[in-house]
Amino acid sequence: MSGAKTSTRPRLASARLGMPRPPQLPALKARLQRGRELSGEVLRNPLTLAGCLVIAAFLLMAALAPILTTPNTPDAYQMPRDWQAIDAPPGSPGHLLGTTSTGGDVLYGIIWGARKSLQLSVMVVGIAVLIGVIVGSLAGFVGGRLDEILMRTVDVFLAIPELIFALAIAAALGTSFTNIILALAVVFWVKYARIIRGQIIHVKQNEYVEAARAIGDSRLRIYLKDVLPNSITPVTVQATLDMGSVVLIGATLSFIGLAESGLTEWGVLVATGQSDVIAGKWWVSTFAGLAIFLWALAFNLVGDGLRDVFDPKSQRR
Amino acid sequence: MNAQPVAAVDDLRVHFHTSRGVVRAVDGVSFQVNESEVLGLVGETGCGKSVTARSLLRLLPSPPAEYVGGRILFSTPGRGVVDLLTLSDEEIRGIRGDRIAMIFQDPSKALNPAMPVGRQVGEVFLQHRADHLLERAGVGLEELDPVSRGLLSRAAGERSRAPERPLLRLPRLRGRWRRIRAALDESVAQALADTRIPTPLKIMRSYPHELSGGMKQRVMIAQALACDPDLLIADEPTTALDVTIQARILDLIRELQQRRRTAVLYITHDLSLVRRLCDRVTVMYAGRIAERAGTGDVFGRPLHPYTRGLLGAMPARAGRDGRLVAIRGSVSEVLNGDPGCRFAPRCPHAGAVCRRRDPALVAHGEPGHEAACFLHEHLDDVAPGERPSPEPVR
Amino acid sequence: MQVRQYVLRRLLFLPLVVLGVSIIVFALTRFSGSPVAIYQHPDMSQEQIAELQSRYHLDDPVPVQYLFWLKGAVSGDLGWSGVSVAPVVDVIPNKLAATMELAICAGLVAVLLGVALGTIAGARKDRAADHFVRLFAISGASVPIFWFGLLLLIPLYVEWGVFPIGRSSPEFFERIGHPTGMYTIDALLNLDLRAFLDAVWHLTLPAITLGFATTAIIARMMRSSMVEEVTEDYVDAARAKGLPERLVIRRHARRNALMPTVTVIGLSFGFLLQGTVAVELIFRWPGLGQWVTSAITAGDQATIMAYVLVTSLIFLLVNLLVDVAYAYLDRRVVLGG
Repeated sequence: MSGAKTSTRPRLASARLGMPRPPQLPALKARLQRGRELSGEVLRNPLTLAGCLVIAAFLLMAALAPILTTPNTPDAYQMPRDWQAIDAPPGSPGHLLGTTSTGGDVLYGIIWGARKSLQLSVMVVGIAVLIGVIVGSLAGFVGGRLDEILMRTVDVFLAIPELIFALAIAAALGTSFTNIILALAVVFWVKYARIIRGQIIHVKQNEYVEAARAIGDSRLRIYLKDVLPNSITPVTVQATLDMGSVVLIGATLSFIGLAESGLTEWGVLVATGQSDVIAGKWWVSTFAGLAIFLWALAFNLVGDGLRDVFDPKSQRR
Repeated sequence: MNAQPVAAVDDLRVHFHTSRGVVRAVDGVSFQVNESEVLGLVGETGCGKSVTARSLLRLLPSPPAEYVGGRILFSTPGRGVVDLLTLSDEEIRGIRGDRIAMIFQDPSKALNPAMPVGRQVGEVFLQHRADHLLERAGVGLEELDPVSRGLLSRAAGERSRAPERPLLRLPRLRGRWRRIRAALDESVAQALADTRIPTPLKIMRSYPHELSGGMKQRVMIAQALACDPDLLIADEPTTALDVTIQARILDLIRELQQRRRTAVLYITHDLSLVRRLCDRVTVMYAGRIAERAGTGDVFGRPLHPYTRGLLGAMPARAGRDGRLVAIRGSVSEVLNGDPGCRFAPRCPHAGAVCRRRDPALVAHGEPGHEAACFLHEHLDDVAPGERPSPEPVR
Repeated sequence: MQVRQYVLRRLLFLPLVVLGVSIIVFALTRFSGSPVAIYQHPDMSQEQIAELQSRYHLDDPVPVQYLFWLKGAVSGDLGWSGVSVAPVVDVIPNKLAATMELAICAGLVAVLLGVALGTIAGARKDRAADHFVRLFAISGASVPIFWFGLLLLIPLYVEWGVFPIGRSSPEFFERIGHPTGMYTIDALLNLDLRAFLDAVWHLTLPAITLGFATTAIIARMMRSSMVEEVTEDYVDAARAKGLPERLVIRRHARRNALMPTVTVIGLSFGFLLQGTVAVELIFRWPGLGQWVTSAITAGDQATIMAYVLVTSLIFLLVNLLVDVAYAYLDRRVVLGG
């Protein structure tokens, strides 16, 4: 089973060492190929394409933050205070989107806030997927009592509406950024557990598992070969959508006061600007909220587009 | 048998606009269904038979489908012969269910799962026989004031305006409305009883999932024949049923058809059923007609290689060595309008001329037996090497 | 028969889930502050505090504490609300009524509007109406509720003063009795038209803000259900009977498309509840949401706990009702399963 096909020198380390080629590799190549085809199809939808562009813009903004703006000292993630330019409306010199009541530049807040949003969503979704996959796998594989217990736990978690749950955890743990990440991760993992478990059960019921077991495939092999690859698509769709939801809920938490004050975070900005709104100073809240909206919209569009391509029939939640 | 035509399809062409291009689902189809006759429309999946049938009722969804040519002539009671493709939406709705009716393939899917079947059959009466219901109920409309008269007659025809329905509970109208509904129930029960359903009253109140496949199909037939249509289109009505039930349903259709002298267009891919039920047969392939004849002729002397292939693939007619002869290849969607016989790629007799020219549907031998195949034509202007070969070429 | 079994099963599971929620809530309180803070009045003496410690066994291991807390909760003692300066259980009914009024009002509008929009979009797939509804739906799912509220507030309250904030104008509110705690219903019961109009006037902005996202979710689900139903055979069969298109869509397609949408309606009540947190804050609506936000800033544990319990309970009940309704609607459903 060894031997490279076209090049004379084997590319894989394992082949070079004379070991047999891992059997999953051809399947992987096929999947990468399919992945490329699918990306093409996804991008064909103009709305999905727009979403991807917006996300790219945000990523660019986040990456280039130190270049686009002069980072605040000592902490770049704290809104700068400029007592000489408080409450400046949009279009004022040097402040394209205006300033807050403590002189913080709104554009600065939005650009560095993009970084915060990225940090938040990536960390939360990453942890949630990890926990979810582990719990879901345990439940699905081991089955029986453990499955029952874990699924009842999932039911309990689902009984508390997301925001309210996150709110309670954040209030209990404290409002540091890390705690918010933790709080949201605890709320979001359940969906992934369900997805993975559902996949395992589906595969279990499939007859060809019997056949595979008959020829001696271990459960682990079945898991790696069948469950994981099939789960990638629903997990990806859910993760994309969650990247948007996390920022939405995170911003809401900040808005109601569960965040470090003065943080360059979009929700905090909207909250800071809220008291000014009554006095007619609309720009802080409006622009910061617009950023949240665009972020969530972009991920929702892409997530929907992915779902349409991967599974056109199930557009249900 | 000089029968009167009930409907005549004349050079019908229907195109579908898909993401892959324009599909010529029906590409020049002509046939005629006569009074009191069962015409079988046979072909594989994708040959255009369902599209043709649905065109008779103009049931195709209009963005993807487009009627690009041809006429569908139908004789109506009021206006004589009309082209169904030119009628307005309202006019065609008047014909659907009343003069032309359809029974669908899978009765589980063709009945609304959330509604009792009696109500679904009743809809046909309400839509087309409101006057008859009013009369049967003996409601005495002439004695009423114009407002009440309008309310009741509109309600009986399902044309009530939005806030009118609750008014029917008023004491003056209540009794009459109840009698109208009773007349409706009677009509529905009668229609169900005509299809040999033993307990119509009980069945009327049942939901589709509570009924067996055969029972559901009887309900569909009752629904279709409720207004005694001139033409009944049966789109593979027994495909979804058990073999034992199939025979009974077929017999029922035959019996009702003979009794009421209804013309039936029977669509199927199963030739054995055709033999039982149909008087004449039209064989379709890739949007065109391959062969057309009386049932006996088609089975006795099939002319078109496709028909022969179909017959060879029938279990009852296995080849001499007992093997089923499958036709090689499968139907391809017709995307372009290139000339040439559509069956040529799969035809064991095909010659070069078959790929160049469209064969015309012409009678060969007996009148009334037509085939579109160069095999049976005198092709004087074609070199012998290019003609189709009488012996199958492997 | 099957429906009854299904309902019984769900009812049996409900207390278990609530118990689970209470465990989580209780565990959270052990993360911060002193356990006695839940029951503590600001002006309590040392002896009283010590008495609390012993009554709730706060020196014992956590599971024991939980049991005594549970015992207290079941007998009506959910602690002392610092922000409201009263026992929690005394405060809940009024706040609950205010929030329910808002949520139900927004929910009704969301369901009616969402179903209507989804039906139109699904029946006219890929045409102008469909694109508009889909755009609306995805915006609704992406818009931050608090931002949307502010966007409405700025022109309609700050600039032009068309709508008010708060729940009522004192002059109308005070002159009627309040049997239900819901201003609109109380006004109707009192046959006081001015008060009713006042109530509706105050409800408008918060309800629109709250209902926007939910309308979008329901419209989206209804649209995809309709798209599926419209391609089913029975819809074609209905047309083949000669029924006018509006009857085909309304009586046949929509009726079946509603069923999966009903389950989404249950879930979306959760969104409504979540939304009340921000909406009540912005519009100064005196409900549970506003209550908990002030509790957060004050670090009032008892209030937060009670809030989570109450909202989860409501959410569970609503979902149960919805699932039972669905079981009745869909005769084919195999229950329990």
